[in-house]
Amino acid sequence: MSTADLLAKFHKIAADPAAQKARYLAEGRKIVLTAPVYTPEEIIHAMGLVPMGAWGADIPLNESKKYFPAFICSIMQSILELGITGAYEGVSAIVIPSLCDSLKCLGENWKYAVPSVPFIPMTYPQNRKPDFGRAYTKAGYERVIADLEKVSGVQFEQEKLAESIRVYNAHNAVMREFAAVSAKHPIGAGERADVFKSAFFVTKEEHTALVRELIDALRGEEPKAAKKRIMLTGILADAPKLLAIIERNGLQIACDDVAACSRQYRTDVPEDMEPLEGLAAKFAAMDNCSVLYDADKKRVDKIVQDAKAAGAGGVIVVLTKFCDPEEFDCPLIKRACEAAELACIVVEADRQMENYEQAATMIEAFAELV
Amino acid sequence: MYTLGIDIGSTTSKCVILEDGERIAAKSLVAAGTGTKGPMEAFHGVLSKAGLARADISAVTATGYGRATFGEADGELSELSCHGKGVHFAEPDCRTIIDIGGQDAKVIRLSDNGVLSDFVMNDKCAAGTGRFLDVMANILQLGIEELEIYAARAKSPVRISSTCTVFAESEVISQLSQNVNIDDLVAGICDSVAARTAALARRAGIKDKVCMSGGVAQNGGVRLALAKELGAEVFCVADAQYMGALGAAIAGYERKRKESAFAV
Repeated sequence: MSTADLLAKFHKIAADPAAQKARYLAEGRKIVLTAPVYTPEEIIHAMGLVPMGAWGADIPLNESKKYFPAFICSIMQSILELGITGAYEGVSAIVIPSLCDSLKCLGENWKYAVPSVPFIPMTYPQNRKPDFGRAYTKAGYERVIADLEKVSGVQFEQEKLAESIRVYNAHNAVMREFAAVSAKHPIGAGERADVFKSAFFVTKEEHTALVRELIDALRGEEPKAAKKRIMLTGILADAPKLLAIIERNGLQIACDDVAACSRQYRTDVPEDMEPLEGLAAKFAAMDNCSVLYDADKKRVDKIVQDAKAAGAGGVIVVLTKFCDPEEFDCPLIKRACEAAELACIVVEADRQMENYEQAATMIEAFAELV
Repeated sequence: MYTLGIDIGSTTSKCVILEDGERIAAKSLVAAGTGTKGPMEAFHGVLSKAGLARADISAVTATGYGRATFGEADGELSELSCHGKGVHFAEPDCRTIIDIGGQDAKVIRLSDNGVLSDFVMNDKCAAGTGRFLDVMANILQLGIEELEIYAARAKSPVRISSTCTVFAESEVISQLSQNVNIDDLVAGICDSVAARTAALARRAGIKDKVCMSGGVAQNGGVRLALAKELGAEVFCVADAQYMGALGAAIAGYERKRKESAFAV
């Protein structure tokens, strides 16, 4: 397939998760939703279930407001809205991790708001690196396994988890490679987002094969004319209107630190350990994320280093409204960028936004600074 | 060479014609913004004042929220850059611009050579914007230009605690029902806008000289309250409302100069 055909395919998958859900259900597969972030998909995959990302959608929020206050993350609200309005009917369960206060509220609300889709909590420790932290993480995974066995009737096996870990590590590697290749062979910001977003809606085997094909196709093309290179950071940056503004201003995403994009693919599971221990070791090894406790906030330096290494002249922080963990990091990121002579703007976005006019003004001026 | 800049804001449309990038030949302001006939009225108004026709203008540059839809323009630029250029032209020593417009507030930092170096915008709500003052003046049945006079007479400004404009409106009505001195109430309203703007300005970082542009700059009540909040003198740029349009006219002049340089 040509690059254009492949990008069209990624767009189709990213734009229509309902079609993927219907396809897997028609094939007799059971689907388990994975809410953000760092949900142990490997376990779900190892049990023969299809993990499908639940990161909400750009929709009006009505029903979810019965359960949430107005000033809370719209990603959480839209996940619940989709649950209440039946978008997830037919799936076997949802796994919701506990990595921020809003996610904890989502889990608790889900139990009452969407009783047809069982809620499985994944409780992570704050201190993930010490032995006791790892043991806590492992106990969390065991709870997920027990609940999945209950809802699916499938028995968990360590050997199958070892195989799934290999599948997921291979996917991590291909996504890292794609991020690097797309910086040299630029594609549009929207097209880049489609490649990342589509990973939530198809199995990792399918996605790895498609991304591999895309990487080969991109490498076969002449690099396009140089644009102004920038870095994106935030939890989510998939709003088509926002990405169109970035493209319209001649900006190319050279790298990202977006939780729904590259951030989740940085760390592999060690393959030389007992699989469940290995999964806990991966979580312990993860860093540089607003929802992973780090008193030293090394993430801030990493953003600057990554931006510089990728030749980015500036950083756009796409701040999901009312996301406390990201808001805490914002002043530090801005200060570090300023010290490193990188332009930096904070653009607030949420799942309900229709009008990006002010973001357009900011990005237009930012493009002049880069 | 004449270049024209038009700043199409949320509540007003402003035009400036610049001669050879150095002299303001004419300016016009219409109190109607994007989506109205205001931009065209301001456009024709400035041409008429300058005694020029469209054909005499080498470049028309649009800025402001309506910049993308103004058919007469042959170029557009964000108002952040235009305010930077405009204020640098009018006040070359300025390093921090506080621009409070009809629907948002911006703090713009300029480098020593007048180039935009950083900015922050308040795009959350009407608090700390010109709209907030409009709403409050309306409740008090005062003209927006009268706020300064009332605020100057205040002995003990009332504290307006609500951030939300709608709730602040209720708070002001409640104060009125308690017969609070109107001078103190107006001063409290100015203080409220100043406090929100100062918080925004601190995020960007303050560097002297601090200048205000935009319509609210002409309100001495807010300007003085802001100076008090920031602990720095805040200057009102002459023709504060025209800084965006002036910057757009300068940008058009720079663009034409660049084009002619390439042509040579």
